[in-house]
Amino acid sequence: MLRQLRSVQAIRGLPVYIALAAAGLLALAGCATPPAPPTEALQAAESAISNAEQARVADYASVELSTARQKLASANTAARNDQMVQAEYLAIEARTHAELALARAEERRAKAVNDDMQKSIDVLKEEMKRATGARQ
Amino acid sequence: MNVSSITTTRTAILVAGLFLLSACATGPKAPEAPLDSRVKLTQLQSDPQLATRAPVELQAAEAAVKMAEMPHKDAEYATHLILLADQKVEIARARAQARQYQDQREALSAESERARLDSRTREADRARSDATSARADAASARDEVAASRAARLDLERQIAELNARETDRGLVVTLGDLLFATGKSDLTGGARPNLDKLAAFLGEYPDRTVLIEGHTDSVGSEESNYFLSQRRAESVRSYLVSRGVQANRLTTAGLGQGSPVASNDTATGRQQNRRVEVIISNTATISGVN
Repeated sequence: MLRQLRSVQAIRGLPVYIALAAAGLLALAGCATPPAPPTEALQAAESAISNAEQARVADYASVELSTARQKLASANTAARNDQMVQAEYLAIEARTHAELALARAEERRAKAVNDDMQKSIDVLKEEMKRATGARQ
Repeated sequence: MNVSSITTTRTAILVAGLFLLSACATGPKAPEAPLDSRVKLTQLQSDPQLATRAPVELQAAEAAVKMAEMPHKDAEYATHLILLADQKVEIARARAQARQYQDQREALSAESERARLDSRTREADRARSDATSARADAASARDEVAASRAARLDLERQIAELNARETDRGLVVTLGDLLFATGKSDLTGGARPNLDKLAAFLGEYPDRTVLIEGHTDSVGSEESNYFLSQRRAESVRSYLVSRGVQANRLTTAGLGQGSPVASNDTATGRQQNRRVEVIISNTATISGVN
């Protein structure tokens, strides 16, 4: 009966706030049982960390990467202790730390490559100077 | 007598005020001084070398800093937002710096090529080789112009197909909330065709980066809306990754209820506010073609 009533409302797209109120009540009722763990945020953090690992971030941004791992571990612990809100904050932070690790590693790697190139250019120029010193 | 009683009352009010202030220290933190992240972000935005090189990351940072600057009742939430703002600003800085190094690399490799060539062919006939390369340069320049014109036309067609708006933030594709179940972050089937087009577009333009912003209406608590907007942005990102877009080109931001586009007092307004905005960066190459 109730379900039919609700689906009729949904079809007509009538008062959204009634649907929202109903959703709110359901959510409140849901609070009596332990809230669901923030699966998506945890997964996103995990995949961001493994993404960073695949990009060999550890060579250039090991500190940032281990912070990301620690945050993810804390998020998992919080989720096991039913502290779902904290777990979600921590998972989002872990994700961001993994992204930071990736960005800093990109930056440091790019700088290292440029420094190498600059060095080899300097060497070439130095050789040129010696070879053609008289003419140039 | 009267004067002293006033003084006493004043003192009492002052003491009460101090108590209130100290109570507030654990509650919302009024941002009297600008946040560290705001100072760093402003620096970054005013550096012309860096600001243009990570437009999407800068927008994500701007959004994160704005959220952190708003007053929040929940101390844990406020701390989280401040931390996130710091990280996002630093990500933008590092990405911009990395791209600047990459751009400098082109000049470096040209320089190194020249140095190598010089050392090898210093005995050769320079005039002749210069003339040949000048002709080749002219031909390749003509080809480039033709190619970029075709690319521009192709891009315009694709933008129209995506239903994207060209704004100063970049190309913006808005995904309405009908693409998600109410209060949930799973994408419904209706979202896929549009997102598939977006994935194809990003496959064709590998230079472009994307900011995925989740927004909600003001129904419910600030924190739960923040989480919902994060999750929705995250689902769009996961979907695009599953369609082959590289994860590191996609940045997400959960903006909760803080950036409405319509009034939250009407059902229509609220529906417009529940959305995911996908902002595709304008790249330097494209603006060069314009």
